[in-house]
Amino acid sequence: MAQQNITIKVNGTDQAAEIEQRLLLVHFIRENLALTGTHIGCDTTHCGACTLILDGKAVKSCTVFAVQADGKEVLTIEGMTTNGELHPLQEGFMEEHGLQCGFCTPGMIMSSYALLQENKNPTEAEIRWGISGNLCRCTGYVNIVKAVQYAAQKA
Amino acid sequence: MRQIDAALHVRGESQYVDDVPPPEGLLQAAVFGSPLAHGRINSLDLTAARQVEGVLAVLTAADIPGENQIGPIIADEAMLADGEVHYIGQPVAIVVASSRRIARQGVAAITLDCSPLPVIVDPKEAFGRNEIIGVPRTIARGDVDAAWADCDLVLEGSCDLGGQEHVYLETQRSRAIPLEGGRLRIHASTQSPYAGQRMIARILGVPFNRIEIDVQRLGGAFGGKEDQATQWACVAALSAWHTGRPVEIVLSRAEDMRMTGKRHPYRSDFKIGLSAEGRILAYQVAHYQNAGAGADLSPAVLERTLLHSTGSYAIPNVRLFGVSCRTNLPPNTAFRGFGGPQGMFVMECAIARAAEAMGKPVAEIQRLNLLGAGDHFPYGQPTGSDYARTTWDQAARSYDLPAIESRIAEHNATHFETKRGVAVMPVCFGISFTTTYMNQASALLHVYSDGSVGLSTGGVEMGQGLHTNLAGIAASALGIAATRIRVESTNTTRIANMSPSAASSTTLLNGNAVLLAANQILDRLKSLAAAELDLPGPADVSIADEQVLVGGEPAGLSWTELVGRAFKARTGLSAHGFYATPEIHYDKATEQGSPFAYHVYGAAIIEVTLDCLRGTYTIDSVKITHDLGRSLNERVDLGQIEGGLAQGLGWVSLEDLQYGPDGRLLSPALATYKVPDAHFMPDDIQTNFIPIADDTNAASNPGPYGSKAVGEPPLMYGIGLFFALRRAMRAFRPDLDLPFVSPLTPERVLMALYPEGHVAFPPIASAVEAAHER
Ligand code: FES
Ligand code: FES
Repeated sequence: MAQQNITIKVNGTDQAAEIEQRLLLVHFIRENLALTGTHIGCDTTHCGACTLILDGKAVKSCTVFAVQADGKEVLTIEGMTTNGELHPLQEGFMEEHGLQCGFCTPGMIMSSYALLQENKNPTEAEIRWGISGNLCRCTGYVNIVKAVQYAAQKA
Repeated sequence: MRQIDAALHVRGESQYVDDVPPPEGLLQAAVFGSPLAHGRINSLDLTAARQVEGVLAVLTAADIPGENQIGPIIADEAMLADGEVHYIGQPVAIVVASSRRIARQGVAAITLDCSPLPVIVDPKEAFGRNEIIGVPRTIARGDVDAAWADCDLVLEGSCDLGGQEHVYLETQRSRAIPLEGGRLRIHASTQSPYAGQRMIARILGVPFNRIEIDVQRLGGAFGGKEDQATQWACVAALSAWHTGRPVEIVLSRAEDMRMTGKRHPYRSDFKIGLSAEGRILAYQVAHYQNAGAGADLSPAVLERTLLHSTGSYAIPNVRLFGVSCRTNLPPNTAFRGFGGPQGMFVMECAIARAAEAMGKPVAEIQRLNLLGAGDHFPYGQPTGSDYARTTWDQAARSYDLPAIESRIAEHNATHFETKRGVAVMPVCFGISFTTTYMNQASALLHVYSDGSVGLSTGGVEMGQGLHTNLAGIAASALGIAATRIRVESTNTTRIANMSPSAASSTTLLNGNAVLLAANQILDRLKSLAAAELDLPGPADVSIADEQVLVGGEPAGLSWTELVGRAFKARTGLSAHGFYATPEIHYDKATEQGSPFAYHVYGAAIIEVTLDCLRGTYTIDSVKITHDLGRSLNERVDLGQIEGGLAQGLGWVSLEDLQYGPDGRLLSPALATYKVPDAHFMPDDIQTNFIPIADDTNAASNPGPYGSKAVGEPPLMYGIGLFFALRRAMRAFRPDLDLPFVSPLTPERVLMALYPEGHVAFPPIASAVEAAHER
């Protein structure tokens, strides 16, 4: 199978690798880089568990080839802390109990991050639309919305 | 107290089975599932699969050294199909390879030659052909046959309730690691480590003590990993056994949806008789449970259906019949509520039908018939509580139900294209495993000499907040900070013979076991403290805020000092606690007993707005009054209520499992199977609780520190959406006799509103005129 050399800046560090062209970005992140905070929930772009930030935009990495990220910047959940300090969104999900099993949490945080980049002061309806591509089967979303509001207020 | 794993979750550092760094030489397994829903296997061709480069082993039933059997209640479920296949996706062969992709290539290269046999997907058809599992059950009270004559109104009807896919966000997975001496350690995503251990031992033909199951956490489960996780733990274990290498299996979402069982679809027939004022005098129901191809937990689920078939109502004469019907779907299984929701749903359908026929508000009939403190359930257990009425009345009062009613009447009188509806959904849910012996649990508590604590129980953390609760219980009991307590993984070498984490009883059982263990340590430490402080005995000694107190005053001895001294004084700092729920029993021969430690009650008011031209709808609000007892952690409990509610709402509205006549699931992906997202859920969800001082239900509650179970009951609030929608639909089409078919997807709503097709017809024209005239 065709191989290709790629370099992706992941959480601020250049990662060069020779990979198979069909390798999905989520597998590159999880398996090649051992960044397992990005989860896989559906494989088909419906659950959002695999959401990460690619050149500033939230993408579902289960349907992006790693080669499509070549030369670009990726931010994953592991890159959200700075010098050990939690991002306001991470704090919000903790403080507002916006998590139960935690499986959706990294993807939720990354989608919310993209939302807040575009809209610093979203209304509740905008938050609900903004994260409606991410499924959570545990919480009923009440506290997830609160967590995003917490972060918006804090930022 | 925060959720104990929150800091790990938000950093992406919490490890699920396949997040743990892979051991050297880890192989991947994939499963070949039956392409036919029913057939006789003529031949299985594995040659091509074996030739795929990177495939190390292809295993079939013939490779199972022990017994090819994993049925948890009835031995009717082969781990790998042998001779016949009974549902699409039924595991037939395992391919073990160097990567998951190669394993799947191997699976694709397998061919199965099969002669088709007749396929049944409908439970009533199965019943007609005597395809039943276990024995039909009947709970009766009073004399239902005689009672019909006394009724002013007798009505019959039938319901068709859909199943529900769990959609735990983490699909089924397991990793098996061979250890010395032929032992295996399996890291599994299971609610039932002991079931995994038992079944792996069975298929391998080894004693239980050769198999270690370890569970750190689950990415959701909801019942779907109670016994259905066992299959995948067995796949990993058998593969590791044969290859001598670590083997992992992770199902794709499509595999998971196709191969695993779900909430049972039910078809039910009811007959209800009432007095003119609306008192229910007699109720009879027959539940035909779609069990799928194997028993799995179906008989136990059916039992809970029957035990909940009269919902929150007191009915003097009842006959509740249920039967598990064998069809060619994957074996259906536990799902939050465990059969209770179906029983209660059908009862509500009967009441709705009666109210509609009598021209009375549904809520009036519901309220009139609610259980009181002196009433008995049909299985003989007294309610001992007035909570059905207390919760209903508090909901109606605190959320001003009359005002909601008049707002809705006003809207419906002035709008044509949209109609609004409201329903009240009372919940009464029995707490305990109905199989009495399962109500037992153990805890193992270590206090290390530095004062930190390691706590193991048989309970599994699956997002429900168990570990947070357990740490809180241990911390309160020992008088120390919760941060000192590490709740360890759930492991069969530390805790033997554990019950599954299910039946809303995990905190009750394991929390009490923790208390029993903690109290042993506490007694030893107090005696030691008394000796150290030259007191005559430990009676006045207590520990709080990490300090030893004597007569409530600090004695200048800290927790860490005390523990250090205890260690040097050769005091045992480990303890094992064992708990069994007292006083519960059930006699299946008479179908009478007291199977539940207590019942949890509540009521929810659900409002919906229906777009009558499109069939789409918006849930405006859900307002709940819930009986929480003395909450161990209100945030955790509220999260359970909101999450359970979301699943209940989804079950009756969006979540549509469609099967073809050939037994094929037509909605096998999240593209076609919709679950509630943040936008679907109402902005307005309110919850209030019954004041603890009024707790008439407290005496019988064995929950740690007076806490009550909260895992399952809130799911059933969601059922109210069905009836709120029905009301809105009837406001638009009062002329129609609407069927009781769930889920009410927008598509189904639209078809029901326009049975004549989409041409304009008089009712609409006149309604438009009427609306315009106002
Ligand atoms: S795994 Fe990518 S969206 Fe679900
Ligand atoms: S917390 Fe479990 S899926 Fe969201």
